[in-house]
Amino acid sequence: MTTTAPSTDDLRTEVRAWLAQNWTALPPSDDPWVSSPEEIAWREKVLDAGYAVPTYPADWFGRAYPSKLAAVIHQEFRAAKAAGACQDKHNIPANTLFTFGSDQLKNELLRDFLTGAARACLLYSEPGAGSDLAGVSTTAVRDRDHWVVNGQKVWTSGAATSEYGLLIARTDWDTPKHKGMSYFVIPMRQPGIEVRPLVQITGEAHFNEVFICDATVPHANLIGGEGNGWRVLQTALAYERSVMGDGGRGSRNKSKADSLVELAREHGRLDDDALREKLANVLALRELNRLNNLRAKASTSQGTSSSIMSLGKLAMSRILHSEAALKTEIIGTESLFAGPDNPEADDVNFLSLNAFFTSIGGGTDQIQRTIIGERVLGLAKEPETDRDIPFRKARHS
Amino acid sequence: MTMSAADRAELAAAVKDLLHEHCTEADVRRVMETDDGFDRDLWQELVAQGLPGLIVDPEYGGVGLGAQELEAVAEVTGAALLPAPFLSSAVFATALIQATGSDADKARLLPGLAEGSSIATVAATGPRGTWSPDGVAVHAIHHDAEYRLTGNAHYVPYGQIADVIIAIAKTVEGIALFEIAPAAPGFERTTATVFDPTVRLSTYTFSQTPARRIGTGGWAAVEHALSLTVIALAGEQVGGARRLFDITVEYLKTRFQFGRPIGSFQAIKHMAADLLLEVESATSAAQHAAAQFDADPTGADGAVALAGFACAEAYHSTTMQSIQMHGGIGFTWEHPAHLFLRRARTGRQLFGSSRDHRERYLASKGA
Repeated sequence: MTTTAPSTDDLRTEVRAWLAQNWTALPPSDDPWVSSPEEIAWREKVLDAGYAVPTYPADWFGRAYPSKLAAVIHQEFRAAKAAGACQDKHNIPANTLFTFGSDQLKNELLRDFLTGAARACLLYSEPGAGSDLAGVSTTAVRDRDHWVVNGQKVWTSGAATSEYGLLIARTDWDTPKHKGMSYFVIPMRQPGIEVRPLVQITGEAHFNEVFICDATVPHANLIGGEGNGWRVLQTALAYERSVMGDGGRGSRNKSKADSLVELAREHGRLDDDALREKLANVLALRELNRLNNLRAKASTSQGTSSSIMSLGKLAMSRILHSEAALKTEIIGTESLFAGPDNPEADDVNFLSLNAFFTSIGGGTDQIQRTIIGERVLGLAKEPETDRDIPFRKARHS
Repeated sequence: MTMSAADRAELAAAVKDLLHEHCTEADVRRVMETDDGFDRDLWQELVAQGLPGLIVDPEYGGVGLGAQELEAVAEVTGAALLPAPFLSSAVFATALIQATGSDADKARLLPGLAEGSSIATVAATGPRGTWSPDGVAVHAIHHDAEYRLTGNAHYVPYGQIADVIIAIAKTVEGIALFEIAPAAPGFERTTATVFDPTVRLSTYTFSQTPARRIGTGGWAAVEHALSLTVIALAGEQVGGARRLFDITVEYLKTRFQFGRPIGSFQAIKHMAADLLLEVESATSAAQHAAAQFDADPTGADGAVALAGFACAEAYHSTTMQSIQMHGGIGFTWEHPAHLFLRRARTGRQLFGSSRDHRERYLASKGA
């Protein structure tokens, strides 16, 4: 479609009218990794209307819009609280497939990825490759028109309900680590793949371990070219980071622990000078992060925003850990208790543990500091001893 | 009046050019070695750029700009470690006169301040240095047609060179503002020996000193002027922190040990990443406070208080860490890092301590 692009006003009118005519709220879902039939039906509608991936070309469900026009669609859908639009911003499997997949594979999968009829989990981290993702040892070996995969993946969300997995696997142990990996779209529903829930320190299980034993994947599902897995992964991770930005969720229970000031007041600690100092500092951390984000938004064109965005994860880690620490201090010995009879303690203890979700997940804070130092401040890289030697010869745990 | 963001950036850039020429590190070191810590020629350069009259109403010879412009300019003066009574005369005293003075007071005092022929200061607090009503240690008694002041004021910024002297004093009706003639009987000023040679302080004593009341305002006027001063101070702290941070990051790229730039060591790199967060957060706090003040001066307490302690503490930790990251050279008098640390330590006390700002912040949060 090479028709001239509409004006933002015309587009806004169009989208608004379309939503008014078509959108009705979906029944709430308790598992974000499972698409209900209603949700799939809705996403199909959005896709066919050209709103799902407006920056994609018309051949691939899009309108070849510039991001300025796509933003209009995004705004209107958000205002209506309607899902499914502008997935070219955040749908990791679809965008990875769109960028690197063959036309044949795109024909086969892209529509289902965009409608939610098929879901895809991320088979990246391994017990031996966390922060150093390029150190994966899950191995794929070519067997005629298939690859045979063996290894173990970890921290995989939605593995039990996904039809596909986006897999990074080593296809060559005799080149340096970054060059010996390939990226696959592997079917999850096969005998060689076993999914087990992974219980976190909070007692919840939001992730899985995936054991892969002689699983197979068609050669056509290797995307981006053999040995190019790291490059594909970098692009896919960039999508993931832009999605993860917010980070950290609130209390498990709806208790008064939500408000630091109220919690301190109820526990009679507002006249404690030492506590007041901490309270001011901790309240300030959250407010400063909010102000940073506002400033980043206001100055996206002036270049300061990227520096602030990359700091968001560090800021959020500090906020969550220090809020939890202060809440623990406020409730004191009550924090020794747990369970539904002790909602306040339960909440505070949960927050104390769950803060690690943000300070470890998606790359530890320490890795993030290294990234900020090198990519934002331009400091020299730490020497890497395993960068230029065959992966087989590098030390790994 | 407030400007567009682009005009504001242009104003700041013009001041930056000026200071780049007339307020180099060598200039700062030269001025800080003088008795008064003040360079009248440099002040006249600032006058040419409109700085002393930045917030003065145009009808009294000023430019009449708002808190956001003041903050933007202060980022530049702070980065240059400008050794001058900018905050005390051009902001605190000027804002106070503007907030509470009668038309006659303003017409008499403001034009001289804006054109640089006079320098003002405010004797605001007693030995406890709280910058609060209960910290005022000067009393005023009605005497015939005028007042007589008795007591003392400490931490009076650039008190030696000021020729427009505003004193805050307690009266039977509460806090009031007075003007004292420099040669008034019973008025003595003593130079304090200061840790930060780029900000000078004096101690004033008043003994039955005749004084003229300025306007009718009380502590509310002081609070208004103090808020604006804290915003400007926060701007200076942001500017100073970012400047020393930039100097430090540059050093991490050019200093080699063990065959590689020291910035490649994670121990150092991670300190730098953390400091970037401090500097960016302080910038947000200062600019937010200024915007809030321009929108509604009376509703900006929380935002100003947040900037008050967040920027002071960020500046302090940036200077402390920067010296550590510099290693040996950072421990020398020759390196400028200690000048920034001295200024950072000054800002943690002057015009209200971090502790006081935290309390005001908590009050705004209902705690």
